Amino acid sequence: MAIIHDDLGRRRFLSQAVMAFGLLFGMGTLALRFAQFLVPSPKAKRYEAVLIGAESRVPLGEGVSMDLGGHKIVVLRTDEGVAAFSRRCTDLGCLVSWNRDRQQFLCPCHQGVFDKTGRNIAGPPPRPLDRFEVVKRGDQLYVNIQSG
Amino acid sequence: MESAATPAEHRAGQKSWIDYIQKDLPAHLDWWPYTLGAIPLTLFGLLVATGLMLTFYYVPSPEKAYESVEQITHEVYLGWFVRGLHKFSVDLMILFLLFHVIRVFVTRAYRPPGEWKWVSGSLVLFLAFAMGFTGYSLVYDNVSYWGMTVVTSMLGSLPVVGTPLLYLLRGGEEVSGGTLLRLYDLHTKLLPVLLAGLVIGHVLVVRLSGFAEVPGSRGFHPFYPEHALTMGAIAVGLLVLLVDLVMIFPPTLGPPANPQEVATDVSPPWYFSAPYMWITLLPGPVALWSLLAGAGIFAAYPFVDRVLSERGWPMALVNGVVGTAVVLAVAALMILDTRM
Ligand code: FES
Repeated sequence: MAIIHDDLGRRRFLSQAVMAFGLLFGMGTLALRFAQFLVPSPKAKRYEAVLIGAESRVPLGEGVSMDLGGHKIVVLRTDEGVAAFSRRCTDLGCLVSWNRDRQQFLCPCHQGVFDKTGRNIAGPPPRPLDRFEVVKRGDQLYVNIQSG
Repeated sequence: MESAATPAEHRAGQKSWIDYIQKDLPAHLDWWPYTLGAIPLTLFGLLVATGLMLTFYYVPSPEKAYESVEQITHEVYLGWFVRGLHKFSVDLMILFLLFHVIRVFVTRAYRPPGEWKWVSGSLVLFLAFAMGFTGYSLVYDNVSYWGMTVVTSMLGSLPVVGTPLLYLLRGGEEVSGGTLLRLYDLHTKLLPVLLAGLVIGHVLVVRLSGFAEVPGSRGFHPFYPEHALTMGAIAVGLLVLLVDLVMIFPPTLGPPANPQEVATDVSPPWYFSAPYMWITLLPGPVALWSLLAGAGIFAAYPFVDRVLSERGWPMALVNGVVGTAVVLAVAALMILDTRM
């Protein structure tokens, strides 16, 4: 029969287990804090409407690139109206440019192609280009962007 | 220096570290495919030396980085030469590491007790690639800038660890001066120390677990002077080759980083061109996961080999086929990259 009343052994095991748990917990917390030090926290986001000018500034079929508060966007006017796309390729973050002749957005990094509605039609990009809302007040166009 | 061991103490039977180095080597190590490990080792030494020299002039800030590389290339006395040596040493180091890997793979030299030789060696290879990436980012020309963007985004697309990793590498949401500083620290501090440690570990494991037996290789020769002399001759030959390469192809510099416009030709250095084409041809997640799986299988290959050969697979043949297929595929991808 095995020894049941091995109190000493059990006590030692328990106290060691508690100690080990405490140590691991402490070290783990410490490691996590150091990781937090190295990984900067994201900034809170706000939205605002930025004036980009009169609608006539964007010729038909032309994409106009601009930098709005750190967002690189391209404003495009087609028969369906004015749209603002993020130039950040949805594959790995290169900048797409509007190709007038092909009426498509092209990404030079891995030959990603988007059509004029921002849909990904060729190459590795997994989803359409991000869009920004365009608001028209009078003759002036505004783009709703997030600002840091 | 009172504690220096006298020759008498050595003879007293205590094995000192000298005895480990001085262990006799199998004679086949004189045949060149079996000396391929010593070449990257020599080049690593040269990289440390030239790298240290470059840090005296290089400034890791987005305003100054490109300018300081230009200064090194065009103004500093022999700056172009030191930079050229650094560049070509990386190229040759990675090239010879690959030859070394292919030789070990084809001869299955990783079989027990050599598994840890292979595992430590594959870590050395991965770190060498990481050094290559961080190094070419520091030049901060337009290809570097977009290379940083693409590689960090790729790591950022991993599940769970991706986003923190992205912030960790970029030091923020976007590629910025903080990113450059972090890559600089990785390239000049953390990675070299890790790499040096791993290289030493790899050499120690090789010396302790012994060399693979090669059929037809019976004799032995001592490490010193025979083998040391061979390695010395190789080092001198390499240096001559490097000097010639740098004189013929002095280092150049692309247009400076432009966050507003992607470079038209974003092709990375040759050792990344195959994976680069791979991620161009396949949709993002598939490309990333296949690369990671490939790296995992590669690092654990001795164990894969063991499992498969226990099931009666003819591994010598399998390795020949797999090796050839991979080399051909990589060559095809590289050719495709130069075409596009
Ligand atoms: S980043 Fe645009 S296709 Fe890869």
